[in-house]
Amino acid sequence: MSQITQKTFTKISDYEWEISTDFRSDMRVPVRVFASQALLQEALKDKSIEQAVNASTLPGLVEAMMVMPDMHEGYGFPIGGVGATDPENGVISPGGIGYDINCGVRLLASRITLEEVEGWLPDLATSINHHCPSGVGVSSNLKLSKDELADACIKGSRWAKARGSATEADIKRTEDQGCLAGADPGKVSQRALERGRSQLGTLGGGNHFIEVDLITEVFDEHAASVMGLYRGELAVQIHTGSRGFGHQICTDYVRRLQGTINKFGIKLPDKQLVCAPIASEEGQDYLAAMRCGANYAFLNRQLLAEKVREAFERVLAGKVDHWKLKQVYDIAHNIGKFEEHNVQGDRKTVCVHRKGATRAFGPGSKDLPEEYMEIGQPVLVPGSMGTGSWVLTGTATSMLRSFGSSCHGAGRVMSRSQAKRNVWGEDLLKQLAQDGIEIRAGSLPGLAEEAPQAYKDVNEVVESVVGAGIGKRVALLRPLIVIKG
Amino acid sequence: MASHGYEEVDHTADIAIRVWGENFQALLRQAADGLYDLMGIKPIRNSPAEVRFDLPQGTKEDILVDFLNELLYLSDEKRQILNDFLFSENNDEFEIQAAGCQILSQERQIKAVTFHNLSVEETNHGFKAIITFDV
Repeated sequence: MSQITQKTFTKISDYEWEISTDFRSDMRVPVRVFASQALLQEALKDKSIEQAVNASTLPGLVEAMMVMPDMHEGYGFPIGGVGATDPENGVISPGGIGYDINCGVRLLASRITLEEVEGWLPDLATSINHHCPSGVGVSSNLKLSKDELADACIKGSRWAKARGSATEADIKRTEDQGCLAGADPGKVSQRALERGRSQLGTLGGGNHFIEVDLITEVFDEHAASVMGLYRGELAVQIHTGSRGFGHQICTDYVRRLQGTINKFGIKLPDKQLVCAPIASEEGQDYLAAMRCGANYAFLNRQLLAEKVREAFERVLAGKVDHWKLKQVYDIAHNIGKFEEHNVQGDRKTVCVHRKGATRAFGPGSKDLPEEYMEIGQPVLVPGSMGTGSWVLTGTATSMLRSFGSSCHGAGRVMSRSQAKRNVWGEDLLKQLAQDGIEIRAGSLPGLAEEAPQAYKDVNEVVESVVGAGIGKRVALLRPLIVIKG
Repeated sequence: MASHGYEEVDHTADIAIRVWGENFQALLRQAADGLYDLMGIKPIRNSPAEVRFDLPQGTKEDILVDFLNELLYLSDEKRQILNDFLFSENNDEFEIQAAGCQILSQERQIKAVTFHNLSVEETNHGFKAIITFDV
């Protein structure tokens, strides 16, 4: 393959670039990158664009293979990749969704000011850490039977509501109301169910976290007030996914599809892009299983949100006037879904793969709760540990240019081993403490891997998103408490 | 270079290792050691575990991924770390017997073993491969 350089791209705007299908003979659609020139240059240092070109060879893709500005090298799809396929002649690719099915972010708002709780932050950090099981190999307090788990992954967040662990407002303010239709536990392996039983209601490790944040800036007063976000008040982010349940589902289907790819006559440049026609038995089975993983993840974040609420009540009840947390939104950034979009000028249902990209539906979308119809969907963009996070909204442009998608975070620029070579976990812990951040972390080397230096500047990523018109700034958050497994 | 071994290869977000061995079974043993090393596992002494499992026959890439995914499952769900692998095979199956112990602690979670650009190559000295893990 020819080397990819700046010259490979056609400039569409200051924040949008394309590689045409002339670049490589097996490309089926162009690659469209949303990034500033500086971030595009950064992306050329790893294989993210090459992986997007590889992904553009998937059968049935429409319009373009998109890449968000927080892109980085993944496996198969790049992280930050968005690809939509035609349900009639297109494919579904488990690798285009990822092992952590429906990894995502939930944002809760409070009416608590920093002044009210400043003296209680260490207690609050300890209480959240105590209430929310986190870390590698840590099991859930829930002991579900296989039947209960099967029921849970059909119902998603509604399973929690039936047990008094979710409100109707929580459900309404979750992407797809916390439940994808068409989940079939019969398509999930016994091994996945076994892993799922012991991990529901746990945070996990790696880059997953719970943060208590301070809203430091508001850029769109109206949208922020609709979401319940006010400058000087606290908010909570929960970032996790479908745990070992989702990992096993993806593992099972990536393996199964390796054995069936030849019968469909599909040639791929990377085995991890393995796929099946959406209409095939294999494709339908994967979709039914993947939806179980997605519903499990919605439920997982719901159960953790309830635990965070308990922790807030335990520490702050009687000390502040309003300690309750209201849901702003819950979004997925590793998922595959059927959505209606403009394709070559026509409205068409397509299967949108988002791998490290967030849905960002604009104002007027019928899939949004009534109160967000006017402002557009909240888009949650966590920054690296110890730095700011953004709340954005989806736009009319995101609906036209990126299949209603936007970025999902800061995006890594440094490998984990390099981060550990450059940063001592203990030093980082001290630095974060000096910056006034309460940290509860299970592993110091793990903390070093997630050091802010290992990530892009989230502000640059957001500048590209806003510059490209696929997101609009609403509020900026600064961390006060970080819980990591 | 030693006749068998493993080393980490740079990857922006995930983790990859280069593995080599004088034959395919040695490559599997090195891949297992590399995986456990990446996970930062500390074992519980005097907690013996014995395991036997079969994998379906397939390409060397299939067997390598299946083998490592089985180890991941056993570490995640059963909290077991294995060594002393014995391999045998017939037309249908690849059989593995192993001894090991329970896990005391683990620093890093590995979500899965991927097929990303995976190719088990025969060399003059045996076999080699680069394996990418999702973390």
